[in-house]
Amino acid sequence: MTAAATLRRVKRAFAGDPSAGSRTGRRLGLIGAGMLLGITLVAVFAPLLAGHDPTAPSGAPYRAPSFEFPLGTDDVGQDLFAQLVYGARISLTIGVLSAILATAIGLGVALLAGSLRGRTEVLLMRVVDLALVFPFFVLVIVLAAFLGRDLLITAAVISAVLWAKPARVLYSDVLKVGEFQHVIAARAMGASNLRVLGRHVLPRIAPLGVSQFVRTANVAVFLESALAFLGLGDPNRVSWGSMLFFANSRSAFLTDAWLWWILPPGLALTLVLVGFAFLGYAIEERADPRLSGRRQPGAGRRVRRTASRPAGDEPAPQAPGTVLEVRNLSVAYRSGDHEVRAVDGIGFTAPQRSIVGLVGESGSGKSSLAFALLGMVRPPGEVQGGEILLNGRDLRSLRGPEARGIRGREIALVPQGAMSSLNPAYTIRRQVVESAALTREDPRAAGKRAREVLESVGIAPQRHGAYPHELSGGMRQRVVIAMAIANEPSLVVADEPVTGLDVVTQARILQLLLELRDRLGLTLVLISHDLRLVGRVADELLVMQGGRVVEAGAAETVMTSPCHPHTEALLAASPALREVERPR
Amino acid sequence: MRRRGARIALQYAGVLFVAIVLNFALPRLAPGDAVDYLLPPEAAGEVTAAQRESVLAQYGLGGSPVAQFGSYLSRLAEGDLGVSIRYGQPVTEVLTERIGWTLLLVGGALALSTLLGVLLGFFAAWRRGSKSDTTSLTGVMVIDAMPPFFVGLLAILVFSVSLGWLPIFGALPATEASGLALVLEAGQRLILPLVTLTLGFVGTVYLIARASLVGELQEDYVIMAEAKGLSPRQVRRHAQRNALLPVVTITLVGLGTLIGGAAVVETVFSYPGLGRLIYESVLARDYPVLQGAFLLLAVAVLLCNFVADLLYPLLDPRLRRPVAQ
Repeated sequence: MTAAATLRRVKRAFAGDPSAGSRTGRRLGLIGAGMLLGITLVAVFAPLLAGHDPTAPSGAPYRAPSFEFPLGTDDVGQDLFAQLVYGARISLTIGVLSAILATAIGLGVALLAGSLRGRTEVLLMRVVDLALVFPFFVLVIVLAAFLGRDLLITAAVISAVLWAKPARVLYSDVLKVGEFQHVIAARAMGASNLRVLGRHVLPRIAPLGVSQFVRTANVAVFLESALAFLGLGDPNRVSWGSMLFFANSRSAFLTDAWLWWILPPGLALTLVLVGFAFLGYAIEERADPRLSGRRQPGAGRRVRRTASRPAGDEPAPQAPGTVLEVRNLSVAYRSGDHEVRAVDGIGFTAPQRSIVGLVGESGSGKSSLAFALLGMVRPPGEVQGGEILLNGRDLRSLRGPEARGIRGREIALVPQGAMSSLNPAYTIRRQVVESAALTREDPRAAGKRAREVLESVGIAPQRHGAYPHELSGGMRQRVVIAMAIANEPSLVVADEPVTGLDVVTQARILQLLLELRDRLGLTLVLISHDLRLVGRVADELLVMQGGRVVEAGAAETVMTSPCHPHTEALLAASPALREVERPR
Repeated sequence: MRRRGARIALQYAGVLFVAIVLNFALPRLAPGDAVDYLLPPEAAGEVTAAQRESVLAQYGLGGSPVAQFGSYLSRLAEGDLGVSIRYGQPVTEVLTERIGWTLLLVGGALALSTLLGVLLGFFAAWRRGSKSDTTSLTGVMVIDAMPPFFVGLLAILVFSVSLGWLPIFGALPATEASGLALVLEAGQRLILPLVTLTLGFVGTVYLIARASLVGELQEDYVIMAEAKGLSPRQVRRHAQRNALLPVVTITLVGLGTLIGGAAVVETVFSYPGLGRLIYESVLARDYPVLQGAFLLLAVAVLLCNFVADLLYPLLDPRLRRPVAQ
């Protein structure tokens, strides 16, 4: 688990239920549902609300609003208010009918393709891709022009054009579900396709199906109104779109008639469309919490001031001969009344050229500690107390650009980079140059330095122009190390630097870190869950549990004669295989 | 790279073929007699059997379906899309007269809405969860939901009828004008349709840009970019570079939506582009023109998608063929 992922999990856990979406999303969803409910009521009770038949002349043409005709009459004397009220029926019917049809077709195709696989799958998805690139709006117009203008035909035409999107979206979800361990297990135990479908696939893709349904309904309502506005509406019914069609072709906007002929149907249409859009957004956010906009590190937010140490309270000077001294450091995550201390009063020193190993299981607070060292604890987390002294300077007193100036220059991070810590869009050279350029104005000097450090971590010059995805996990880890040492920092924080790599590569990367320590005089804080691994290279070991140090001491001592039961448990958890490995 | 290009080209050739088949099949699928569709409504009632035959022959509707399709294809290959019922001109001529205005309108709206949508979307993503994000999100969703023809009618009401600032109806003034005056007049008449169409698409771009950047910001490489000491500006650039990828796709694919939107917007403003032509052809039952316009637009959208597919590896290195290890 990377530090970032840990942080993310912790924050999610304390920012409320992640699947519930944001407050904005929930509020929008409620408003949208309310709008749609209102329109539905109007549609249901249309005969009670409207005083006249919407499609028959019931008064003189072009009448202004009156008690009898609240919105006046159109060019043939039909009651505009009645048309408005009955129009709700058409919009909702088209929206719901087309959405049911299109989502059902899409779901069918997705399930068929996802469960049959092979040839059928390829063929079906080719058809979906084909349908997706068609200019659907123009296709609807042409289809409607040729096939007829009846309401049912319109609904059929609209769903014939809109089914591909739900099919594509649901299909990728069906595939995802199929890769879940428990589904694979169910299949392996002989569960039939149908059973897997009913028990595992359908419940899982249901939220996405609902969101696709709402989206499709939204587009369908719009398409029907656009068709009607183009004069392709059902001639026997009056919808909001066709009201606007007649208003437009009778130039209602040149007189006062726009007030009761253009505005009401336009607003009604907007109301339904906004209602669907809000509801759709809320549902989509539930299905994909990433959209909720919950703040994450890197959001450019300033560290909360409350975290700063009171002014005038100068810390005691740092112990001589040490690069880093941490005193009584606490980091907490807060959400409402909840507060969880991820780091609870930790202190340690790191002498020059030493390797301090921080070991603990997931959730022991070691990643929070790493972020605190880098000055990157962001709300809802905060550093609540303690001191971080680096070469005699108290890092917690630094603000803004000053605090940033430490990162990459005096403290560098080596994350678990094998997977995702490199930008996929840039070459590795560019990313290392970017680091080197922090302390070098001349681009050529930065380029030269990048070449040097990349070669010093064992990446051949012909590979410097490669993109991250073209490199193996071990190579990527070397690149991240090259970025870290580009400006010769005095302290390197390595957070799970070898997790996720194979055993041979792990050994090589650790070897590289040791070499660099010797060559550059680095001080290393090595964070890992693997006590045996860290124990092999660290001088000093700290074993963490629940945000506290439960055991500390020279690596030799801790490894051979652990005092705390948690240390023993961690030792026992590591596979004994490593014991038979030859010592380095 | 080349193989990928060839595969994509083949795929698009397939879609194009389907478009052609659809175009061929449509008038034949329509309920009723094709002649009813091909002749002006008032004439359809009183045609003799001989006339009927000649009309069918003229439009390639005689003989077996296979033979019909063959002759349809060979005409198409020669660039013959038939003759407009309304204008009596070849459909290709009618289309070329109109296409320039649509290109201007749709191209302008595409550029404007992409620029605006990306700027606003990224802005909102950096402030996600904040009040300004919530406000802009809600506002954009409302604007996005408003049907463009309603927005267009309101724009006419406010800016032309009430305020009298901008002329409407058509793309060019009815009076003679030349040189700069003509360009200015044309520009004035372009403003409202262009803004209306832009408003209709900017929301889509905004939502994609926002969602895309919000997603990228949670990636480890963004945290790493900050941890390695980059300035907030540099960190932003890292995330935005990757967040732009889906925006490019949506923009080029969105062309289809925009062209559809142009049909209603041009209708509202009586703008003489392809969209207005489609509307007029629907009313006048000028089916050859309708078919021709559909084919043309389908080809245009397919071309754009094709370009997007070819461009994508240039933007996203992950799609390029890996360098030999």
